Amino acid sequence: MPTPNPLALIAEITHRCPLHCVYCSNPLEMQKAAGELSTEEWVRVFREAGQLGVLHLHLTGGEPLARPDLTELITGARAGGLYVNLITSGIGLSETRLGALVDAGLEHFQLSFQDSREAGANEIAGTPSHARKLQLAGLIRQFKIAFTVNVVVHRQNLDHLGEIIAMAEELGPDRLEIANVQYYGWALRNRDLLLPTREQVEQSQRTVAAAEERLRGRMRIDYVAPDYYARYPKACMGGWGRRLLLLDPAGQALPCHAAGVIPGMQFDNVRQHSLDWIWRESAAFQRFRGEDWMPEPCRSCERRTEDFGGCRCQAFLLTGNAAATDPVCTLAPTHGVVEQALSQVGPDGPSMAVPASAASWVYRPNPG
Amino acid sequence: MPGPDKNSKPRLARGCRWGEANGAERMLMFPEGALRLQGTGREILERCDGQRSTQQIVEELQAQYKSGDSGRILQEVHDFLENLQQKRVVDY
Repeated sequence: MPTPNPLALIAEITHRCPLHCVYCSNPLEMQKAAGELSTEEWVRVFREAGQLGVLHLHLTGGEPLARPDLTELITGARAGGLYVNLITSGIGLSETRLGALVDAGLEHFQLSFQDSREAGANEIAGTPSHARKLQLAGLIRQFKIAFTVNVVVHRQNLDHLGEIIAMAEELGPDRLEIANVQYYGWALRNRDLLLPTREQVEQSQRTVAAAEERLRGRMRIDYVAPDYYARYPKACMGGWGRRLLLLDPAGQALPCHAAGVIPGMQFDNVRQHSLDWIWRESAAFQRFRGEDWMPEPCRSCERRTEDFGGCRCQAFLLTGNAAATDPVCTLAPTHGVVEQALSQVGPDGPSMAVPASAASWVYRPNPG
Repeated sequence: MPGPDKNSKPRLARGCRWGEANGAERMLMFPEGALRLQGTGREILERCDGQRSTQQIVEELQAQYKSGDSGRILQEVHDFLENLQQKRVVDY
C-alpha cells in the first residue's frame, strides 16, 4: 500500500516560552534558541509541505510569538498553500502585532488558558499570565479569524469545569477545546498532582454534554478524554507516520511530540533531507507505520485499524517497550501499570494528600 | 431543530475558506480540518456568499434540479446548513 500524504505539519518553531506549564508537551531536553531553523529554512520546509500534500500548519512552541519573524513565517506558509493555525499563550502579543499576523494570512488563533481562576492558572503556568490572556481574547474578536479557546484540565481544576466553560462563553470563541492532560514528559513528572479521579472524569463528561446541548450553534466544544480511564487507547496522532508530522525547533522530524523519548530511534533533519524523503523513506517514520510491528493482542484485534495499537511513547514510558500494546488498553497484558497509577488517586490514595502548592510542581524551564 | 431562517444570508464562518491543495480538487478549509465536497453539498456551499438568502439558494437549486423533489431539496439545504453551522463552518 502506498504511503498516504501527511495532512498536517506541527511546527514547534521555538522551545522558548515565558510560561512554565507543569504539563508542557515539549520534551524534557529542549532545543536552544541558537539551534533553531532560520526564517528561510522554515519557509522552504513549508513550501515542501504544501507540495507533499499537507493541508494544515500548526505553528506552536514553546511560545511561537517568541520568534520575531513570525509574520514572515505565516506569509511563507500561505505562499506554500497551507492553512495557518497559531497555538499560543498570547503572552507578548500587542494589537499591532496581531494585526500584522492577520494581514500576513493567519487564519485561526488558538489561545490557551490554564484555568478560570487566576491563582490556579498562574500556579500551573508558573508565572502571572491569566489576566493578560483575558484582555487578549477581546482583541482577537476584533479580527476576522477563527478563534479557539483551549483549556487543559486535570485534578486541580476539573471540579470547576462549569466555571471554565462559563469563562469561555464570555470570551466568545467559535470553539472551546477542553483537553485532559496527557502523561508524557513534564506531565508525567507531575502525574501525582494532575491525574483526576474517576468521579471527576465522569462528572466532567456530564458537564460537557449539557454544555454542548445548551451552546449548540454558538460555541462548539471538543472534549479530549483522559486515556488512562478509557477502555481502549486513543488513535495517537491518527497512527504513527500516517497523518501528521512534527518538526522541532532545530528541524528534527518526529512522528509526534514525545517520540524523542523512545530509545534507539534516529530522527532525520530537514537540514539534511527533504520532507518528502523523511515522510516516505526515513527509518523513524516507518518504524511503527502500518501493522507489521504489532504484538498480540493488537495484531489480531479488530480495533487495530481504528486505534493503531495506541501510543508508542506511552507504551515505552509505562512499560519500557515502545512496541508493546498501549497499556491504557484494557486488553493489554501490561494494563496493570495503569490500574496501579489510578489506584493511587482515590480519595484515600497517597497522592490526594499532597498539597498542591507551587513548591510541589516540577516546572519546565526556558531553554534560553 | 429549526432550520435557518429563509431570509438569513449564509456565509463561510471566520477562518473558513476555499483552498486548492496543489492544484488538486477544491476543498473547504477550516481550523481543524478540510471538506472535500461534491454534488449538492458543494452547490450549496458555493452559494454561501453572504449575499444570497437561504430562500434564494433553495430556489436556485430547485431550478437547477428541476426533476428533483423540491420539498426534499429544501430539507437538504436546511439540514446541510444546520450541520455546518454547528461545526462553525457556516454562519447565518
